[in-house]
Amino acid sequence: MKRRIKLVAIGLSSILIAGISKAEDKNQKEFMKYEVINGQYVKEEISADPDAYLWKTVRGKKVFLYPQISVRLNDKNANKLIPKKKLLSALVKVAYNDRDIAVYIRWKDETPSVQTVYDTNRFADGVSIEFPNRFGKGITLPYVGMGDENHPVTVYLQKTVEGRDYQKVFISEGFGSLTEIKEPADIQMKYNEKTKEWTAVFKRPLKTENSNLKAGLVPVAFAIWDGSKYERDGNKSLSKWKFIKLKKFPLDKEYLDYVSWGYPASKLGNPERGKKVALQNGCAACHRFDDQKTAPVGMAPNLSDIGGIAVPVYLKESIVNPNDVVIRNLNPNRHYNKYAKPDKFKAYPNNDMYQWYMVVNGKKQSKMPPFSHLSEQDLKDLIAYLSTLKSWKNFK
Amino acid sequence: MSKRQLAMVMDLNKCIGCQTCTVACKTQWTNRNGREYMYWNNVETQPGAGYPRNWMEAGGGFDADGNLKDGIIPDMVLDYGVPWDYNHDELFGNADQTVLSPNTDPVWGPNWDEDVGEGDWPNSYFFYLPRICNHCSNPGCLAACPREAIFKREQDGIVLVDLERCQGYRYCIAGCPYKKIYFNPKISKSEKCIFCFPRIEKGLPPACAHQCVGRIRFVGFLDDEDSQVYKLVHKYKVALPLRPDFGTQPNVYYVPPVLSPPKFDEEGKPMEGGRIPMEYLEKLFGPEVHKAAETLLAEMEKRKRGEESELMDILIAYSHADMFRLDENYYQEVAAKQGLKGTEFFKLIDERYVQGKNTPKVEGVYGVKYFETQPAVENEHKEGH
Repeated sequence: MKRRIKLVAIGLSSILIAGISKAEDKNQKEFMKYEVINGQYVKEEISADPDAYLWKTVRGKKVFLYPQISVRLNDKNANKLIPKKKLLSALVKVAYNDRDIAVYIRWKDETPSVQTVYDTNRFADGVSIEFPNRFGKGITLPYVGMGDENHPVTVYLQKTVEGRDYQKVFISEGFGSLTEIKEPADIQMKYNEKTKEWTAVFKRPLKTENSNLKAGLVPVAFAIWDGSKYERDGNKSLSKWKFIKLKKFPLDKEYLDYVSWGYPASKLGNPERGKKVALQNGCAACHRFDDQKTAPVGMAPNLSDIGGIAVPVYLKESIVNPNDVVIRNLNPNRHYNKYAKPDKFKAYPNNDMYQWYMVVNGKKQSKMPPFSHLSEQDLKDLIAYLSTLKSWKNFK
Repeated sequence: MSKRQLAMVMDLNKCIGCQTCTVACKTQWTNRNGREYMYWNNVETQPGAGYPRNWMEAGGGFDADGNLKDGIIPDMVLDYGVPWDYNHDELFGNADQTVLSPNTDPVWGPNWDEDVGEGDWPNSYFFYLPRICNHCSNPGCLAACPREAIFKREQDGIVLVDLERCQGYRYCIAGCPYKKIYFNPKISKSEKCIFCFPRIEKGLPPACAHQCVGRIRFVGFLDDEDSQVYKLVHKYKVALPLRPDFGTQPNVYYVPPVLSPPKFDEEGKPMEGGRIPMEYLEKLFGPEVHKAAETLLAEMEKRKRGEESELMDILIAYSHADMFRLDENYYQEVAAKQGLKGTEFFKLIDERYVQGKNTPKVEGVYGVKYFETQPAVENEHKEGH
């Protein structure tokens, strides 16, 4: 009797597992379709010229870029334009040979703008791509906005500045840490007057001093600046982490399972219940999101369009283990405590902005407590909810 | 290291608007390399729109809760004014061409509204307001920079831009309520008044203060109780910060122009009190201005009666040696503590904001490993700073 029950139980669970893995397969297929850009292997030298014939032969994929509003900057004219911004879509193509990889990105911009040589308030159009310096099995994803202390990224930047070719390669470990490096890169950017489109190509060696992209699945993210909207620095449009598939290199199944976790978020859980979970757990005390506006501005990242820039697995990690990705907030002097006692000559007041982290033994620790106690269902519903947050229209 | 603050006091009762300070600064620092339009020191007429145009309404600074306020970046043509040239070359030896004209059609510039002021004759009024960077205790520019490229030196509180960290985002310009930090479009970086720190470190006052023909400027450390700056600011409390309501705690102080000529009544007879409305001075210098005016007028009366007045003696500005107390040895001690000697010391006092750990280092002239500078800054050195 006992044995039979056991058998039935095994049978049932195997059916369940088969069912789950089938659904997982389907989700992963969808992930490959929408989130993964297939790199095209070529034998010959790759041209960084956007008009090169090669790029006509490579198939591209659409990538959406969301206006960044996680942190608020202080340019009045620029801030006024943020709620009026449109969702940006770009066509992305990737080609690689045995030595180099090149990323092609094309987007519409009706108002091409250049940072001029003799103006104070004109800003450049620009585009940038980033790769994590380390990725693969067992390595968590960096913060998509220029990495973080635990996850340095390499950033390639091209801007349209009059009088010189403004292109740079940086290492970045989060906001304000951009450090220029001398790494080989060939970047070209062109505007097509007829189609009103910018096209840029970033070409770099697969392996550099700081990163090795010889892998089956390479994370990549994109940022675009519209100079006519006073965009520069953090005021930009940003994609979530996307992935490049390079067939020549082995694809690590475990890494694919990791990065595609929870995809698509709409099937992961119940967003309505997720909102309740967010409110019950007091997220709104520090974060602003959706219709929640009680948290002081700058207390914690604004989550109103987090769904546009964060993948489900990143959201999971940020909730369960906030210390893995600690984001340094902007200049701590942005807010000062007017009640703090200045020194005798009023020369050095105490500045105390809301810091998003504290330093423990020389290491940054997030001020957000880990919410690892959430039940699996709560967590999934919460991530499903956060993934629906894609609005910047209420930015003030 | 002790935290000290240098300060400047300007006596507005004595400023004649001659712009010698402006020229001293311009020829020293801003006549080249993308800084042509900048006036780190300017003298404007108040009441007036000033330089850049309407800077007082351009935002920045802190609100009552201590949060940085949004601001705008003034326009090169409309608000700063583009430097222009005249057609001297065409005029010279050319009989057809007789009209001297600028090569652009300027709509604004520094000192554009000179002597306009307010009020009707015979009671019209204005005064001159020389302005440099206030080297604030709580600088709006420093607060606004997302890269923390702006820093305040601990040894004297001078606020400087680290040109190697600066990426030209210009949030500092929006954040400074005095609009005294400028964008250099040629090198795509922000630049500002440096309080002539290379001079200061040699015991010399800033060029603007040294050249001032009216001797209206005093320079010294706020914690140096023997300095005239300390006496004007803390002992007699007659020197007040400009627009203290901006919340940045400026360290340039002004003796308000309370000794203006009298108003005339309808019959042309002089009336009691000065011509510049106290409400306007209160807007610029805060409510403390009434007390300061009282002290100034009382001390003046004292002197008129033939009594001693330390305050009046200070404001007469007898000797540069007393007006500028910079204590040269102080900086030499700072340099010595850091193991620096010789003439290069001031270049290296600040190492806090040099570039990050991923920047390649190059061998410097003294065998010191320096961080490799960005191309723009390198060119700047070649062209002559």
